[in-house]
Amino acid sequence: MSLQVQGLHAGYGRLEVLHGVDLEVGTGELVAVIGANGAGKTTLLRALSGLLKVRDGTVLVNGTDVTGKGPEKLAASGLAHVPENRLVFPTLTVADNLLLGAYTRRRRPSAERDADRERALALFPRLADRLGQAAGTLSGGEQQMLAVARGLMARPTVLMLDEPSVGLAPRLVGEIFTALGVLRDDGLTLVLIEQNARAALAIADRGYVMDRGRVVFTGVPSELLGDARVQATYLGGDFSPAGGAGDGEPRPAGGSVAMEGG
Amino acid sequence: MTDLLQLLFAGLSQGAIYALIAIGFVAIFAVSGVINLAQGEFAALAGLVAISARASGLPLPVAVVVAVATVAVVAVVMERLTIAPVKAMTTLVSLILTLGVSTALKALMLLVYGPNAEGLEAITPGIVTVAGVSIRYQDLWILLVAAVVSAAVYWFYDRTVTGKALRACAEQPVAARLVGISLGRASLISFLIAGIVGALAGVLSSPVYFTSWESGLALGLKGFVAATLGGLVSIRGAVLGGFVLGVLETLTAGYVSTGLRDAVAFLLLIVVLVVRPGGIFGRHAEARV
Repeated sequence: MSLQVQGLHAGYGRLEVLHGVDLEVGTGELVAVIGANGAGKTTLLRALSGLLKVRDGTVLVNGTDVTGKGPEKLAASGLAHVPENRLVFPTLTVADNLLLGAYTRRRRPSAERDADRERALALFPRLADRLGQAAGTLSGGEQQMLAVARGLMARPTVLMLDEPSVGLAPRLVGEIFTALGVLRDDGLTLVLIEQNARAALAIADRGYVMDRGRVVFTGVPSELLGDARVQATYLGGDFSPAGGAGDGEPRPAGGSVAMEGG
Repeated sequence: MTDLLQLLFAGLSQGAIYALIAIGFVAIFAVSGVINLAQGEFAALAGLVAISARASGLPLPVAVVVAVATVAVVAVVMERLTIAPVKAMTTLVSLILTLGVSTALKALMLLVYGPNAEGLEAITPGIVTVAGVSIRYQDLWILLVAAVVSAAVYWFYDRTVTGKALRACAEQPVAARLVGISLGRASLISFLIAGIVGALAGVLSSPVYFTSWESGLALGLKGFVAATLGGLVSIRGAVLGGFVLGVLETLTAGYVSTGLRDAVAFLLLIVVLVVRPGGIFGRHAEARV
């Protein structure tokens, strides 16, 4: 088990957003976490990567308790978080963004990091042509690829991605999700937070559906896609702006009509 | 013509001191948004420590090393005691905190070293005359050291992993933490850099401009103006800002009035902030995110 989360509570100020989330991710598994805007998906990732204080519950990475550690420590213990809105380092070059992705491994031999970089670039070949370019000058899709590649440079136990499809053209979403599938096939463990539920479930091994700070449903993609309650949760659910996904709302994949039939 | 050259040279030497102080402001501000009002005190303290170390019989190079090391420690301790513990640091809070440290350092210097202004002995005493322009050897040292230090700082941010990590903190603090960079450590390193460059400015300028417990005020203000001219987040901008300010000041003093000398910095600052808020050399998109 690469990642085990039990009874996780977290929030902002007096507002509790997560009311006891349980999540298990097996080694080599790609797990999608879906749910409407405001369901607590981003909050979950922020709590897992230490950006947000865990108020209660435990987080185990490879069986080791990492609850309450800060992001700097968690990055070193194998949790890589590819944040919402990419957050590449804009004036640094693509090469330097990748270099800093391996910051926790900066004392490792450079040959090892070079090999990792080659692997990441093989996954996203268009980054290879732009190594010397400032990351801020890349297109949105390229910045997302860079953010994923930067996360990979840490050689994570679990790679966690927050809404990698936001604001991207469908073709680019396809490219990135294909890459995630390749990573899973290579044995990497992934947690994918997505509002674009259909795209996420298309590549996931299992899915969790969140609503108002709780996991309300879990299962394999075919179960989730076929379940009426799930459709209600992420398609008919609460689209309040409080969740912070901001602009670039992904379309409810395919529309609700296509989802009928469970 | 000789007058102009003489003034230009004096301005460059003065500007090199401002540039070093300005680098200190930028090093800290870019990483954490903290404006360190004690930056000038770093320079004054270094001058006073070097003078007293020299007076106690240490050779000049050793006295300089002692002074720079002392100020580096003071800067690091200051960061740990007053900056690191603050959970939600804002630029405004930092102004109040560092003003407090500045005041405390001034009081301490007055207590320990007394009220008199003194000058450290020059690295190479004397004057050389080139084409009618008389140049203090110390001015040459100032320019040399400022050039080497500026280049070294620039290299550090541009080429080393630690330097790039500091820039990452400045640009995307959240993403920097997610890749494992500690913002606390980054802030500490930025104060260390600011302490060292400030101290160098202090020991270099002391033989020419003299040092007292209160000489940090003027140095700090001018350095801050120079850093702001350069956009407050760019090392290159800070260095250029320092030289521009130094030259304009001496030209004003030479051709207009010495009384206007200190007003130049602030007039220039007002004009630049109104016309080009990102600094004279700043592409305005370069501002901190």
